[in-house]
Amino acid sequence: MYRKLSLLLITLVLTLSLFTGCQKEAGTIKLGLEGPMTGDYAYEGQGFEKAVQLLVDQTNEAGGLLGRQIELVIEDDAGDPTQAALVAQRLVDADVVAVIGAYNSTATEPASEIYNEAGILHVTPSSTATRLTEKGFERFFRVCFLDDRQGLFAATFAKEVLGVQTFGILHDNSTYAQGLAEHTKRYAEEMGVDVAFYDAINPDDTDFTPILTNIGAAGLDAIYFTGYHAQGGLLLKQTGELGLDLNWMMGNASNNPELIQIAGLENAVGTYITTEPLPKDVDYPEARQFVADFEEAYDMSPDSVWWMMAAEAFNVIRYAIEQTESTDSEVLADFLHNEAKDINGITGPILGWDEKGDRLGTIHLAYIIGENGDFIVNPEQP
Amino acid sequence: MEKLLTRLRNMNPIVWQVGLIVLAILLPLPMGNYHRSVLWRTGLYAMLGLSLNIILGYAGLFQLGHAAFYALGAYTCALLNLHFNVPILLTYPASVLVAALFGYLLTRPILHLRGDYLCIVTIAFGEVVRLVLVNNLFGITGGANGLSSIDRPALFGFVLRAPIYHYYLMLFFLILTIYAVQRLEHSRLGRAWMYVREDEVAAEAMGIDTTRVKLLAFVLGSGWAGLAGALYAGRITVISPDQSKFLESVIMFCIVVLGGTGSIPGVFVGTLGMVTLPELSRPLKAWRDAWLGFVMVIMMILRPEGLLPSRRVAMEIRGEKEEVLPAPATGT
Amino acid sequence: MQFLQQMINGITIGAFYSLVALGYTMVYGVLKLINFAHGDLFMWGAYVGLTGLNIILALIAQTSPWAILPSVIVVMVTVALAGVAVERVAYRPLRKAGRLAPVISALGVAFILQSLARNIYGASYKTYPNGVALSGGTTLGGARISVMQVAVLAISFLLMGFLYLFVQRTRIGTAMRAVSLDHDTSRLMGIDVNRIIAIVFLIGPGLGGVAGMIVALYYGSFDFTLGWSFGLKAFIAAIMGGIGNIPGAMMGGMILGIIETLGSGYLSPQWKDVIAYVILILILIFRPTGLLGERVAEKL
Repeated sequence: MYRKLSLLLITLVLTLSLFTGCQKEAGTIKLGLEGPMTGDYAYEGQGFEKAVQLLVDQTNEAGGLLGRQIELVIEDDAGDPTQAALVAQRLVDADVVAVIGAYNSTATEPASEIYNEAGILHVTPSSTATRLTEKGFERFFRVCFLDDRQGLFAATFAKEVLGVQTFGILHDNSTYAQGLAEHTKRYAEEMGVDVAFYDAINPDDTDFTPILTNIGAAGLDAIYFTGYHAQGGLLLKQTGELGLDLNWMMGNASNNPELIQIAGLENAVGTYITTEPLPKDVDYPEARQFVADFEEAYDMSPDSVWWMMAAEAFNVIRYAIEQTESTDSEVLADFLHNEAKDINGITGPILGWDEKGDRLGTIHLAYIIGENGDFIVNPEQP
Repeated sequence: MEKLLTRLRNMNPIVWQVGLIVLAILLPLPMGNYHRSVLWRTGLYAMLGLSLNIILGYAGLFQLGHAAFYALGAYTCALLNLHFNVPILLTYPASVLVAALFGYLLTRPILHLRGDYLCIVTIAFGEVVRLVLVNNLFGITGGANGLSSIDRPALFGFVLRAPIYHYYLMLFFLILTIYAVQRLEHSRLGRAWMYVREDEVAAEAMGIDTTRVKLLAFVLGSGWAGLAGALYAGRITVISPDQSKFLESVIMFCIVVLGGTGSIPGVFVGTLGMVTLPELSRPLKAWRDAWLGFVMVIMMILRPEGLLPSRRVAMEIRGEKEEVLPAPATGT
Repeated sequence: MQFLQQMINGITIGAFYSLVALGYTMVYGVLKLINFAHGDLFMWGAYVGLTGLNIILALIAQTSPWAILPSVIVVMVTVALAGVAVERVAYRPLRKAGRLAPVISALGVAFILQSLARNIYGASYKTYPNGVALSGGTTLGGARISVMQVAVLAISFLLMGFLYLFVQRTRIGTAMRAVSLDHDTSRLMGIDVNRIIAIVFLIGPGLGGVAGMIVALYYGSFDFTLGWSFGLKAFIAAIMGGIGNIPGAMMGGMILGIIETLGSGYLSPQWKDVIAYVILILILIFRPTGLLGERVAEKL
């Protein structure tokens, strides 16, 4: 009797262990996505989800990664640092291999501390605050470019191409725009340009007629807005309504076709935009393919440059896993630091990363909005 | 529910107080880090709720800008630590003092305002603090990015990193707060507050210096919120002006009212409802805030005095709802 | 030149604030409730207006400013009904429940409305179709004033004027004023208090909804956070003028709009909200019941 029982028990135990063994091999690779699915930045966070999910589905259909299916674990941090800390913990507890996120630097920062403690690979698509890469986190990477490169580009473009002597800069007090504005100001002043106007609007303002009246009276050669396209569009529209003749430049957060819709075509024509090259101008099939796939899957185009960055983040992680044939964060991070060079990215060629985790080799272009409302590469570049 | 509460009240308070403390100490042990963090956050908001309870629950003052003091405490701690290398634990008294000081400065001129006007002024003040922080006044507040790389608290050289240590630190202060608030509730000052809440004119007539009493409520409540802010700064190590936003004040307000105005257990119930439950309702994804709003409305309709109100407040609200008239005497 | 331009700008945005402030002040007058959901009803006006416009434009197959009129009616009716529904479901059960409970309920409704808008319409900015808003303008003494501005100001003042006359001269208006003084006495006088309150919630949110559509039309684009920020400002305007006081709300709105614009133009736009709040606090310190005082009796 006892022997039968013990036989049964042993069989049970063996069978169970077989299962767990099986699970380890045929298990999914879990990937974390942290972003603001609710709250003020919901638009961007939901775009992250769309972009990354699309690529995950494509990868899974093509057989998965290292023969395993990818499981995307999505967490909402509402753009809030406390929530970011909580969901980061959740993702760590969920045993994810790597995390893409978050959207805004204020959320990414506390999350990155937690991922760093857990030793998980962390790639942010859009957090541009400089200090994120100054903590010495070895497994933290950015696919977006730092504010200061774009600031340098903008200042150079203004001075050399537009011949600006009196310059104005306007930001919206958000972490990204303020950073870009500060860098632009610094570089412009170093080049001998007089930044006669430097001010900020509030992120949820809609009426800019007072500040525009001031800008109009300041006699500036050009004015650079570093905020987001929704307000950029309103600025352009109200400039037209006030009958002012202003030379507008905008940063890459205004790089969005909706800008023209909001501003009205006649108000938008002639505006300059500094940005990473748009997918249509990047001569990489990867970029065009992604845009086409996105449009087919969601019936809308990937409007925000940050959604492209989120897709890029996934792309980078996938590439690293494929090349190293490992899901170990240390191996992946090591690979990205030392061996990953010249990758064909969705957002352009990725030259690699420096030891801090910042993406190397920024390429910016200046665009001008043409008569038909399209973004044309400006004939003159600095 | 009533019977259970009566039985609890009749038990020797020491027994179940110690029991709760033991429970609180043991609770995080079997949990993973995420749940421990949730516990920590619950405790933090409970502390904030208790501090607001002094102002709103006891003294009956409409404070919808409480988050401003929370943020001020956090920023004080951060600035002292980042610029003067003051160890985190030592910044706590400063955070309390600064928050209390601002509590005094900003409410002193507006104490004579009545209910709803006081409400809007406190909202305005919350926004002013947030905007001043965002606009990087004097270049020290770090703008919209806030401040970061704040140290973690260290006790005799041991740095508190893991969530569980922060939980115990917070628990220590929470127990202190409960004890202090309870003493206040049953003191002359506490009774004066409730008197002012019920009927300010009568209180004044009885010789209570209503201005001083109300001011004390604000100062004490605000100072405590400052302590919570410092605790936050040491754990998350990143602070931002968003801590002072209106939504934060709303959450604290709801904690006090939903849980039961003027009651300490009520604050805990309110915190569970406003902070812990939404955390657990993450599967609802984009409908989470609609669900929260729905719960708020339903809760108020079903039980407007809150889940566990103090007896006085319950009588006040219930009394108005049930206008019980004595039955007319039969006969001629 | 600049001053005149800023004044024109200020009056325009002031008119918007006034329209929304009226809703707050009317509801407060009869219910002593700060309807925190009002800002989100205003935001819904913008969304409903967009849907309405799109449908009408599709029906008439061309873009024309005349499509605005039927859309406004649709908006007014929809948001007014929504306002009545909100009152019935979320506020009426709490009439006797003290002062705090209705505030929580109102905040809850605000969360629900915002979440609904974000989930139904999506989180991105929405734009009104081009060519619907009137274009063109003229210069007056060196300042530019657009046709849209004139139209907006005209409509706003017209609406406010009608409301004022309605409240002062009609029977229902008188009943409203009675109800805002005392519910029980009004009942004794034969006034159906519930009906009057329902009418208030028709008019207040109705106006707010129309304001939402006008604002969205004027600026051209908006998103689901419109209600929160605008609502708070309008609420401040209502308090500034004296809550419960209709001319006060109109005045408060105008003053707030002008202060904001002048502060933004002459000091700095990032400080304009701070300036407005500080002035509010100062006004209340010296005149604790608002500039025009309130029209409600204090219950002793």
